[in-house]
Parts: sequence; C-alpha cells; structure tokens
Amino acid sequence: MKTREALEVLAAHRGDAAVVCALGMAANEWWAATKSEDSFYMHGAMGFAASFALGLALALPNTPVWVLNADGSLCMNLGCLLTEAAQAPRNLKHFVVDNRVYQTVGGMPMVNQGGADYAALAQAAGIPRTRTIENIADLERALPGIASQPGPSFTVLRVEAESGFLGTPPMTYEGPEMKYRFGRALERRLGITVFGPQGY
Amino acid sequence: MDVNERIHEELVKCGVRLAATLPDDWVAPLIRRLSADPSIRHVPVAREAEAVAICSGAFFGGVRSVVVIGNTGLLTCTGELATLNLRHQIPVFCIVSQRGSIDDHRIYQEVQGRRTFPLLQTYDFPYHVFDRPEDLVHIPHAYEACRLQKRPFIAFLTRHLVKGEHS
Repeated sequence: MKTREALEVLAAHRGDAAVVCALGMAANEWWAATKSEDSFYMHGAMGFAASFALGLALALPNTPVWVLNADGSLCMNLGCLLTEAAQAPRNLKHFVVDNRVYQTVGGMPMVNQGGADYAALAQAAGIPRTRTIENIADLERALPGIASQPGPSFTVLRVEAESGFLGTPPMTYEGPEMKYRFGRALERRLGITVFGPQGY
Repeated sequence: MDVNERIHEELVKCGVRLAATLPDDWVAPLIRRLSADPSIRHVPVAREAEAVAICSGAFFGGVRSVVVIGNTGLLTCTGELATLNLRHQIPVFCIVSQRGSIDDHRIYQEVQGRRTFPLLQTYDFPYHVFDRPEDLVHIPHAYEACRLQKRPFIAFLTRHLVKGEHS
C-alpha cells in the first residue's frame, strides 16, 4: 500500500484523536490528508515524536492520542518502547509508517533494511497489542478495533517506498506558530488551559 | 528540612504534576522523593531526550512538568532541546546536577565541568545555579522565567547543595 492511502484510512478513523507526527514524509502526508491543526508536526528532535505523544497522552488521559511515527524515527529512539510499555497509557496508539528507506532524503536504505520486525520489538518491550498491516483492506478492517481497544498499542504500516524525493509539500506554518495553533486547537476542543493569561 | 524535601516542596508550589527522570547519583534522592508523591506522575526514561520530549508533550496537555537528569545527560540532549524546544518555543524546566564542578573530583566529569556553561550560552538556554538551601525558594521564579522565556531553563544543583559541606 502507498503511504498516502494508508494515512487517508487513518484520517477517516481518527475520530477526536490528537495526533503527533514524526518529522518528514509522514508529517507532510498527514497534513495533505487532513489539513488538521490539532495535530503536532515535529520539525526537529528526530526520534522523539513517540515520547512527545506519550507526554501528551499522560497529560490528557481522557483524550485519544495517536502518534504517526516512521521507521527511521523509531530506530533513533527504540528505548521509547520501554517507556511507553511501562507507563501503559490506555489512550495512546502508536503507528509506524515502515517503508524501509529514509524517504525524505530520496530513499536511502534503512539500517538493517527489511531485517527487523518492529512489531516483535514492541511486543518484547512490553506493549501488549502489536500488529503489522500490509494492505489497505486489512487496514480498513483492523482500524475500528485499534481505535476502540485500550492502548497502548503498536501498529506497523508496511508501505511501499517511493522512488526518489516525494513532492508532497509540508504544512504551511512552522516553529512558534505551530506551537500556538496546536495548543489553541486543544484549548478550544478540550477546554483546557495550555497558555497563561498573557499568552505564554 | 532535607534539601530534596525542599526542592520537592518548591516544585509542588510550581504546580508540577509530571516528572520525567533519568538519575545520576546526585539527583537520585530527589527522584525517589518525586516518585513517592502520588500527585506527581513519575516517568522514568531510557534516555534523557525522551524526558525532554515527554515534558514538551505534557505542556500541550496543560500539565506542568520537570525533567530531572545529570549533567552528562543534559549534554546528550542539547540537539533535541534546540530543534524541538527552541524551534517551537516550548518551555521545559530541567533540574540538573552540576557535575564537573571544582569539588567534583571525577575524571569522567571534567569535560562537562568546563564546557557545559559555554554550550548553554551558545544555545541561549538560560540557567541558574542553586548552591545554598535558602536559595531554593527561588525555584518558582526560575520556573516562571522558563515559561516566560519559552525555552529550556536549566536549574543546576551543586555538589555543596546536594551532598553537604563535608561529603
């Protein structure tokens, strides 16, 4: 399956989940599919989108939180699986877009390309519900259950690598504006206070 | 009152409800105290940058948090502090042992002792050194400065503070 197709299926089943995207291709494709401001698109700290999402999930235990990770990012911080398993947030769903390449730099191969089973790694780390999904039909069938079952869960989306650079443009805002758009979107939707009375 | 009890008390005054930690031996007693507080969600991590990202995510859930790590660990996550917290102006309050100080006679801390402050100055990360128990009442000021300056703030604990005069 194609990354865009997979993320469009996720978008259709997202419900009211707050979403955190690892930087790069997955973030750009999620923006293209959703244009959503109640998603945080990492622009740095490669490897730590899952940790960011864990902090958000612990802070908002009654709000579904999804993290759209990527195989390159996951491998920069495999320890996140241990922390996620130990904290066991019921509202956190971890997805990994696995195309076995660093797509953002033109498709350079991932370390140990094709030789790693990320779902098995997550299971071994202590995350109880893990799976690998390889086609759109299976993803359509599985997502309602993934969305409704308690987390933490870990789902690998095996997608095709694209040839060369993807032309999908990134979101149209960045840096501090992303902070304020995301925070304000959560304030409006959840009635929480992220920023103080003077805006910081 | 024990120093770690006072730090804990000041963090509670700051409204801290989540602590992401990875110990070195100077901050381990503080981490034990925070872990025993049922009002604070304790998140032990496998790498210091995880703690930075977890507290950054918690910020957007409206939860005040603290990172508690050692100086060596701080140096491992300056890239994440720069590309996540500086880039997006996300405050993150870090309590860090000031390893490598003149009274820390550990050869494996000497680079940290010489280069940490210049590195933080280069990144424009504000910091404050807490050296005396009576200074700890200023932790809430430091916490507010972190929020106001919208970037990482490092509160260093000295050996003198956490280990005492004669250790």
